[in-house]
Amino acid sequence: MLRHSANRLLGSLSRSAGSPATSAVLQLPRLYHERVVDHYNNPRNVGAFDKNDPTVGTGLVGAPACGDVMKLQIKVDDETGKIVDACFKTFGCGSAIASSSVATEWVKGKQMEEVLSIKNTEIAKHLSLPPVKLHCSMLAEDAIKAAVKDYEAKRTKDNGSAETPLDKAADA
Amino acid sequence: MWKKKLNSLTPLSSNLRRSKAPIPPPYTTATEFTSKQILSSSPKFKTQENYSFSFNSSSSKRLFKTPRLHLGLPNLNSNLFCSVSSSPAAISHCWNCNAVASGTAPFLACQSCRSVQPLDPSIDYFQILGVEKKYDIKVETLEGKYKDWQKKLHPDLVHTKSKKERGYAAEQSARVSDAYRTLTDPLSRAMYLLKLEGVEVDEEERISDPELLVEIMEIREAVEEAADTQVLNHIQAQIQKQLEHWSESFADAFCSRKYEEAISSIQRMTYYKRANEEIVKKL
Repeated sequence: MLRHSANRLLGSLSRSAGSPATSAVLQLPRLYHERVVDHYNNPRNVGAFDKNDPTVGTGLVGAPACGDVMKLQIKVDDETGKIVDACFKTFGCGSAIASSSVATEWVKGKQMEEVLSIKNTEIAKHLSLPPVKLHCSMLAEDAIKAAVKDYEAKRTKDNGSAETPLDKAADA
Repeated sequence: MWKKKLNSLTPLSSNLRRSKAPIPPPYTTATEFTSKQILSSSPKFKTQENYSFSFNSSSSKRLFKTPRLHLGLPNLNSNLFCSVSSSPAAISHCWNCNAVASGTAPFLACQSCRSVQPLDPSIDYFQILGVEKKYDIKVETLEGKYKDWQKKLHPDLVHTKSKKERGYAAEQSARVSDAYRTLTDPLSRAMYLLKLEGVEVDEEERISDPELLVEIMEIREAVEEAADTQVLNHIQAQIQKQLEHWSESFADAFCSRKYEEAISSIQRMTYYKRANEEIVKKL
């Protein structure tokens, strides 16, 4: 699994770099910030939760221009509204994988209200993404919001209750 | 904008980046402009100033009558446009021997002295390769035309000529290669057609269509987990069917000028093509 991911990551990188695959691998450290490379080689929290679990929120988003698809899931403590765990699975370029990897790290242990304020610019800055890769961080921001929204929608449905304030925030 | 998008989409379109010349605008005469304005149901057209010079041309009153004819014959539009758009090249003169271009073929090289001509970005890829400007073209006819041009334009043929002509040959030859690569691949051909129509595609668009994304996620996971080539071949066959389906959808949408639908088909094709690339890597 990890080997697969690593192969995939390197493959994606060569595409993003727009160079032949053979030379791109060697150029990695110079083209990408070390944090991106780190999240490539050791993606954090890769995996999946049961999407039918009522405590799980699933965010599924895509960037059609690149053919990228990103899934980010959160596991929420019903009592406190705290995100106790997060995972992701991304098929896309290196920046998209690194962005979603960072996103899962950042949302873990935080309140849902808090993670809604995570901006793509913060992720992009953290990874020093070049301008052409900014949309990858936007995708990660979208995925967080979509996951929270999905969790809230499930809970509202289960309780049959009125909208919580979080729903509005998630829509924002 | 489009250049960037194309580059990020497919290596095939890296050709567009190499092309030094500006992208030809999606019009050639006032006739085409007025027809488009009337026939278009999409708001995504380029701003009017792009067209203003042809609109203000002295003959604009006469040309205003033409669109009605087109409206009555929607299927002939592309034919009419093609024949119309080749006319400006007909008055070109060779920079070397001053011979007048014949007008039957795009004027990339002089018929009299064989000199390679400067790049004319208003000649689109369909004109270069001598096919009708539409999605459903006979791809197998492209190669012959492409090779014919390279026999006239290739930089190796003019290495003894002036620096100026060597420059022309380098540009023309590269552009003909771009044309061939762009029109051969269905996805890049589709995107090029939209670009000629002046339809903007937002390269930073993100989608959350669950049906599509779940399907793509499942395909990509299946490819990742596939243990042998038999499984991969099976997935590839399914993807191929989808590609054909959405290719037809694009053709229909483009013909009826439903550009939103055309873009949506392109998005689908991009996703399936990416998945197919992963399969090819593993096979």
